[in-house]
Amino acid sequence: MTAPTVWIPVALSSEIEAGASAGAVVDGKEVVVWRDTSGKAHAWEDRCPHRGMRMSFGFVRGDHIACLYHGWQYDTAGQCQYIPAHPDLDVPQTIKVPTYATKEANGVIWSTLSEEVPDEAIPGETDQVTALRSLYIDCPAALIREALETASLPGFSASEEETDFAALADTVWTLTTGEDQLYIGVQPVNPSQTALHVVIAGPEATYAGAGQAHFSTWLETLRRSLEDGAPEKAASAPMTTAEVA
Amino acid sequence: MAAITLYDYELDEHCYRVRLLLTMLGLEWAPHAIDMVPGEEEKQPPMLALNPLGRLPVMRDGDLVLHGTEALLAYLARAYDGANTWLPKDAADFGRVMMWLNFSTLDLQPASQARVQALFGTTGVDAPLKEASRNAFRIMDDHMTKRGYEHGEWFVGDHVTLADLALFPSFALSRDFGIDHDEFPALRRWIRRFRNLENFTTMPGIPDYH
Repeated sequence: MTAPTVWIPVALSSEIEAGASAGAVVDGKEVVVWRDTSGKAHAWEDRCPHRGMRMSFGFVRGDHIACLYHGWQYDTAGQCQYIPAHPDLDVPQTIKVPTYATKEANGVIWSTLSEEVPDEAIPGETDQVTALRSLYIDCPAALIREALETASLPGFSASEEETDFAALADTVWTLTTGEDQLYIGVQPVNPSQTALHVVIAGPEATYAGAGQAHFSTWLETLRRSLEDGAPEKAASAPMTTAEVA
Repeated sequence: MAAITLYDYELDEHCYRVRLLLTMLGLEWAPHAIDMVPGEEEKQPPMLALNPLGRLPVMRDGDLVLHGTEALLAYLARAYDGANTWLPKDAADFGRVMMWLNFSTLDLQPASQARVQALFGTTGVDAPLKEASRNAFRIMDDHMTKRGYEHGEWFVGDHVTLADLALFPSFALSRDFGIDHDEFPALRRWIRRFRNLENFTTMPGIPDYH
């Protein structure tokens, strides 16, 4: 568990389009990440107070997110504003989804999974980033870190360079080969699964297209080798149980 | 009476693929409802006369009777899509579409079986089926991630094709058998695009956002 309040990455910014929502799991806790149509990102507890349905199954309308189950609509403060079955009801203030502190930086959406904001800023502010991808690996974060500490990341701008690993925080790692740097947000999903939200710390003019494909292919290879070597193979299934209406 | 009859079971994802294309092509057609569960009507003599394999979907267009999802989709595209949108004329793109159609039949078969177990079975979903489904979705997500680097929004080429249509239902319905969309960001964006196509139609399990 991540005891003190820290920024935890929950998605790449580019993966959550305006008007879209998605689920994320952090240390077993379900989070809905969504973006209102004005472009602001939100991370909340992924649970409708009505019947416990995951809000990430729902849909975004303007600056409201609606539950798929009965269409209850919540504003950006998590406050329920509209219940379709009772259109004339002045919805009580108590019907509210817990909202979490949320921030976007370096092409990544971060949340603290509480209302608290950490004293420390998100480490490794970079001017220009190129989105790469999120990578879900059936492997604990500690083992991924071990592998990355000695990994050799083939450069895109130039080859034949050493690779340096650095942990700027528990949830932020970098891999640097010459001019090229991967900036990695680490989201522990559960004890056997980890999500890496990876961007290239450099301008799109340099990396868009071929550079992205180069590093993405390397990440797929990394995932394969980690999962083949993982002590407990994906027996503990990483899927969640379907919500049955 | 409509020219085209689809022998159809509403909850069957293969029938849904054909309904999707019929609707998106704007064709006049009529469903002939078959009681697949629990009746197994598709395995009774009248239906076996149309398809000796005892499976849906089966389609009649005038005197022509066809069965098998891939065949039905390819036939409809060739017969009624004069613009060659769904089944591209270009040889390379045609090959790519056929590759994904094949994938949808072979490699998404576990997903289809898992869903049938989840909906109609009594013992839950076999773990190997779920694992195989997840692997197939990963291959799709990796593909669409790379397509994104070249500004590709669809599985093949610069517009929607049968590849997207044949792959869409398995992923859109994956929550039916307990696979969430969390870890497939590129597929999430792709199904949003697909849902927004003109004449898109839903089925039970693929919500119509009110």
